[in-house]
Amino acid sequence: MTKDRVQTILAVGIIVAFAALVGITYANSHPHPADSQQYLARALEETGASNRVAGIYLNYRLFDTLLEVLVFSVAVLGVRHYLQQSKGMSLPTLSESEVVQTAVSFLTPLALLLCSFFAIFGHISPGGGFAGGVIAASGLLYVAIAHGMKAIETRLNPWRLALAEKAILLSLLIFLLVPVAVGRIPLSDLLPKGTPGQLLSGGSILIYNILIAMKVFIGAWLVIAAFAQHRGEL
Amino acid sequence: MAAMVAFILFSIGILALVLRRDLVIKLLALGMINAASILFLISIGDRPGARPPIQIPGEMGILADPLPQALVLSAIVVNFAILALALVFVMILVERYHTTDSIRIEQEMARESEEEETLCL
Repeated sequence: MTKDRVQTILAVGIIVAFAALVGITYANSHPHPADSQQYLARALEETGASNRVAGIYLNYRLFDTLLEVLVFSVAVLGVRHYLQQSKGMSLPTLSESEVVQTAVSFLTPLALLLCSFFAIFGHISPGGGFAGGVIAASGLLYVAIAHGMKAIETRLNPWRLALAEKAILLSLLIFLLVPVAVGRIPLSDLLPKGTPGQLLSGGSILIYNILIAMKVFIGAWLVIAAFAQHRGEL
Repeated sequence: MAAMVAFILFSIGILALVLRRDLVIKLLALGMINAASILFLISIGDRPGARPPIQIPGEMGILADPLPQALVLSAIVVNFAILALALVFVMILVERYHTTDSIRIEQEMARESEEEETLCL
């Protein structure tokens, strides 16, 4: 048998296995698993966040989220490192029309506003730091498309941005690990839980959401900027 | 319904990943497989008539399962990391071999290593 045929048979096998997984999951119609029911019953009182998803990933599973942020940082580091090593192509600078520039001057503030809304209200409404950061980075991408990368680089130095990203990561680590080192749980002990549904509730979840949004914004922008610089221009 | 869409996306992704030779298409297929798995995991937590797991005062009823939603966040972030890094490696390969065809790249690499061996001899 050739290599291609083996690969195709494997692929069909994986698809059949996935179909079986979907079928088995939907054939057993049942209430939520016990773990989920416990989270649904207790998460609101224990975390103080009305958004139970934020309550789970920024309180019960905070270390998981922290390591996710670390994975994100490593990816940004890797992209910048390997793109610096390879030589880039240079493309002619494209100038966008008046229409695009006007649309961008409307869309970018909207994206930044959405980013801050998602980050600040992430614990009481849909949203959160990760989504907010990606939205803000796409807002900056609009500016880069309309006015060119140079316009942004003169205002936002990539080297300083990379430093700010590391600083935010370090402050996240310190904020999490110092209370643990002295025997306190950061989310339950440091800040009051407040009334669920109010802006100042959910303990430290608000701070984590804002820090993660800033970090994802800078990280995503650094990745976009590295690709754009390597290619020459957007 | 969501599970059917997830299954179709997953099948297209796996087949494109195996059968297509273009590296960029392979990466897109990888992203598609990830999207399909996320859609499937989210759809597991749904029940007929369920609301999002966000507390609104005065509203009662079944809530969707918040646990898969919190867990797929890792999948999304890891997928972003993998795709960004893999795209960089594809760019490096393209710069060196001037093609995105995976089989041609393999042939070129084999030819290069043979040339090195003959030079050593």
